[in-house]
Amino acid sequence: MVRIGLLGIVALALLPGTALAQMHGQHASEAACEEPTLRRATKVTPAFGPDGTLWLVWMAGGQVSVASSQDAGRSFSAPIQVTAKRLNLDWGPDARPKIVVDRKGGIALAFSIFRDEAFNGQVLYSRSGDGGKSFAELKAITANNESQRFEALALDQDGTIFAAWLDKRNRVPAKEAGQKYEGAGLFFASSRDGGATYTEAGLARDNTCECCRLGLTFVAPGRAAVIFRNIFDGGVRDHAVMTFTDVATPGEVHRVSNDDWQINACPHHGPSLTVAPNGTYHVAWYTNGKARKGLFYAHSRDEGRTFSAPMLLGQPGRNPTRPYVLAGVAGTVMVWKEFDGEKTSVQMTISRDDGETWSPPKTISSTTDTSDHPLLVSNGRQTYLSWMTKADGYRLTAIEDQP
Amino acid sequence: MRRRFAGIVGLGILIASVTMLGAAPALKPFERGTWQSVLKGHAGRPTLVHFWGVTCGPCKVELPLLGQFAKDHPGIDVITISADLVPNLPAATQSMLDKAGLSSTENFIFSDGFVERLRFEIDPAWQGDIPRTMLISRDGTITTIEGSAEIADLEKWSGQQLATH
Repeated sequence: MVRIGLLGIVALALLPGTALAQMHGQHASEAACEEPTLRRATKVTPAFGPDGTLWLVWMAGGQVSVASSQDAGRSFSAPIQVTAKRLNLDWGPDARPKIVVDRKGGIALAFSIFRDEAFNGQVLYSRSGDGGKSFAELKAITANNESQRFEALALDQDGTIFAAWLDKRNRVPAKEAGQKYEGAGLFFASSRDGGATYTEAGLARDNTCECCRLGLTFVAPGRAAVIFRNIFDGGVRDHAVMTFTDVATPGEVHRVSNDDWQINACPHHGPSLTVAPNGTYHVAWYTNGKARKGLFYAHSRDEGRTFSAPMLLGQPGRNPTRPYVLAGVAGTVMVWKEFDGEKTSVQMTISRDDGETWSPPKTISSTTDTSDHPLLVSNGRQTYLSWMTKADGYRLTAIEDQP
Repeated sequence: MRRRFAGIVGLGILIASVTMLGAAPALKPFERGTWQSVLKGHAGRPTLVHFWGVTCGPCKVELPLLGQFAKDHPGIDVITISADLVPNLPAATQSMLDKAGLSSTENFIFSDGFVERLRFEIDPAWQGDIPRTMLISRDGTITTIEGSAEIADLEKWSGQQLATH
């Protein structure tokens, strides 16, 4: 009787342990992912240098590393670690390290970490002035200690680097005044020394959605354009575009589309923006609004003041996600992910008439395990899909000229 | 010697068992197939499933309200699922659940990096936005609330569910 009782207690003791054991098992299997190598990366961001070198920055094992390829991603140089120790990197779905390579080969980086147990973020940056052989010690992009996340970098023609990010500093005075503060502020700064130092942070727009990536590019010298998920009246989280007058002066906010997505939540699903050489803005975004649901594309031919009617992307039953758009010499290309219940595919469509018409979407890559967002990158002659997958590693795929 | 060792081990197990019996249930891994198990395990019972994450601002506000709701409505099965992406932080997740008064509910954490597949099993249209609440009626009808739920709406649904019993 006593023996049965003891056995019963042992059995009871083991029952909750089953869940723990499974958790530990999962951690053990992920221990291999602790290496900071490209093969173990969860987020990989590409950029081409002026000499055609492909540069990658990635997150793996709590570290940020950089390597380059001279043969379009077939082989890579020995990685250089940008981080001196493991950091609690921002591993949110829309977070990733950012990279720009200037005309002189200088490399500027930025990424976010969680700096405390409340998941308050901090944007850190670094640069390399010796062609990626070494990187400067990490610095905070702003001295302010409130949460910052979702940084973006863009390079101007004269080498100026423009940074934008989401910043919660304005919740402090709001709280002190007993007022409710929604979302986060869209902040910006710029660097005229290749990313060695940045100007004081400025506010472009307060109360934007706090958990989606930004889209950032230059429209013309000095004029950065940013797309972001705004919070419009009534808590509607629809997209907006702002074009800066110069790197120190924010412009007006223009609504991309009236999707009417009223939600008090973190969509974790940010937009994409590219500006063609003729000035056309091409944007792609996700919404689950009352007016429309899914992935959409639109363009603007008046500097982002008004946009074309939204065009639905992808097959609604296949969960289209993570759109990315890039204007290149051969046309404007869009990619996104779809999932069929077993595998994730990257769908691609191309427009050769500045966004008026688009080719039928086609699958250009697929994988059977988790994957990073599909990104597009151009060396000025050719546009590539840059995609990190857990099962198949890193892939750089040339977008074919003919769809 | 061996017997003494066995005795010590036995005592250790006994102490561990008593400790574990008093402790909060562990976070359960949410993997491929877990969703169907959850549906089967709670079939016929009004069930509230709450998806959230430690890095989600609106979730931090909603979680304690849900804790109070669970306490006030023992007739409703409350389940939480931490749907942040891996690498996840079970300790931070458990800590937030404890602070919200949700230690004793059935709590899961996404434990498969292939989140597209996990989400697809739950709702093919769900892209991962959190918080998200699914209200499952006795007859299996699912009502999804995107974003923070209004407690008044939960009260209304709960009242309907318990009244029809």
